[in-house]
Amino acid sequence: MPPKRFDQARPFVVLGLVLAGWLVVPVVLKTFLRASFFEFQAPLTLSASYARDLQEYWSLRLHTNDELIQAGRDLGRLTASYEDKVQENASLRDEIARLEAQLRLPSFGEFRAEPARVVRRDFSGWWQQIVIRKGANFGIPVGAPVIFAGGVVGRVLEVHAYTAVVELISDPNVRLAGVVEGDDRPVSFQGGNNPTFGPAQGVIEFVPLDIYASATAPKTLLTSGLGGVFPPGLVIGQITQVEPGADGLFKTGEVRLDPRLSSLNEVTVLVPVNPE
Amino acid sequence: MVRALVIFLTQLLLWVILAQANHSLAPLHVYLFGGGLFVAFAALRLPLRDGYGAVLLGGMLFDATTPVRFGTHTLLFAVAFAVIFNMRDRLPREETIVRVMVALLANLGLFLVLSFLRIGDAPAPAAAWGRLFFDLLCSQAVIALIGPWFFALQDRTLALARTEPVTLD
Repeated sequence: MPPKRFDQARPFVVLGLVLAGWLVVPVVLKTFLRASFFEFQAPLTLSASYARDLQEYWSLRLHTNDELIQAGRDLGRLTASYEDKVQENASLRDEIARLEAQLRLPSFGEFRAEPARVVRRDFSGWWQQIVIRKGANFGIPVGAPVIFAGGVVGRVLEVHAYTAVVELISDPNVRLAGVVEGDDRPVSFQGGNNPTFGPAQGVIEFVPLDIYASATAPKTLLTSGLGGVFPPGLVIGQITQVEPGADGLFKTGEVRLDPRLSSLNEVTVLVPVNPE
Repeated sequence: MVRALVIFLTQLLLWVILAQANHSLAPLHVYLFGGGLFVAFAALRLPLRDGYGAVLLGGMLFDATTPVRFGTHTLLFAVAFAVIFNMRDRLPREETIVRVMVALLANLGLFLVLSFLRIGDAPAPAAAWGRLFFDLLCSQAVIALIGPWFFALQDRTLALARTEPVTLD
């Protein structure tokens, strides 16, 4: 029988061994373990997502015929409006192509839009991410931009067999270059604090001194296209405050992100058609 | 190691429940963290090797699904396990209330350590603490609420798998 003093220290001795073992485990093995554990839990998360869809289906089945007819009419009007927009879009694309050819401008990168359902939202005070129901099986690449009707959602952080993890723009680790609408000078955006019961917020830095915005007269922050991840012109959020920075050369400010970001059910991944 | 796997299955169930709860709470910007429940039972009830096995597996499950360096949760859980295991002979650990209290304390410690590790990334750390304290409060309330059920589930699962430790040693 081991002496009592050693017996008391045994959990810490084992802890020390675990720590030492963890330090010498090769990165390849850790990567393999991470991927294995993710794929192990993925079917459970996917099943829950499909169960939610089924729940939604049955709740929709409870609607009366009159409600469905009304919804069909609304949808018809919306479709007609979108058909107009599609035609307008096609003529604008032709115009852009013609101008690019005439002026010998480099064309913008082409993207394939890949809509995907949101499987899991993971919005803590530490990180902000969602898991979507498409991954390597749909050719989703790491780093692809993700958007929704309100603008930028984030970028693909990890791609797994049937799912992908998207890092939201409200995550403090996300930084990207933006421009204030109507201006072409780049500013730096960082995802920021996400208060309870309130919309997510970000911060902007390196804002030129002649830019003004307030909560009553907000300005829209758009993607700049610099950095090559996001196409230019996508909405990031509304600048609600700018004030001179400590250095006096630039301003800093706050950006209010779209409140719909925290209740997303469907997003679109922009997959580059010809990745360089 | 069968006990470790049995306990890991119950941890997996809890992880799925918490993930679904967090999915639903996301529009309110509230997040539940239940790390303490992953450690408490294994540290109070299982032998050293099985307990470590269960806690390490649970930690890796957390690590695989969160954007932290792989091993962060695993090692934090292992440290919490070692501390609780060392103290367990001095606690009436067959009492559910004691198990819940240990889970609450472990959760508090894990939450604070994780917060200190991650807070540096936030552009305004002082403003981030308000959110974190509210999340902690909600997490503790949920642990107090579901703790007795979860410990009973783990006890029952061990009994069903016929891997229940004969004594509390």
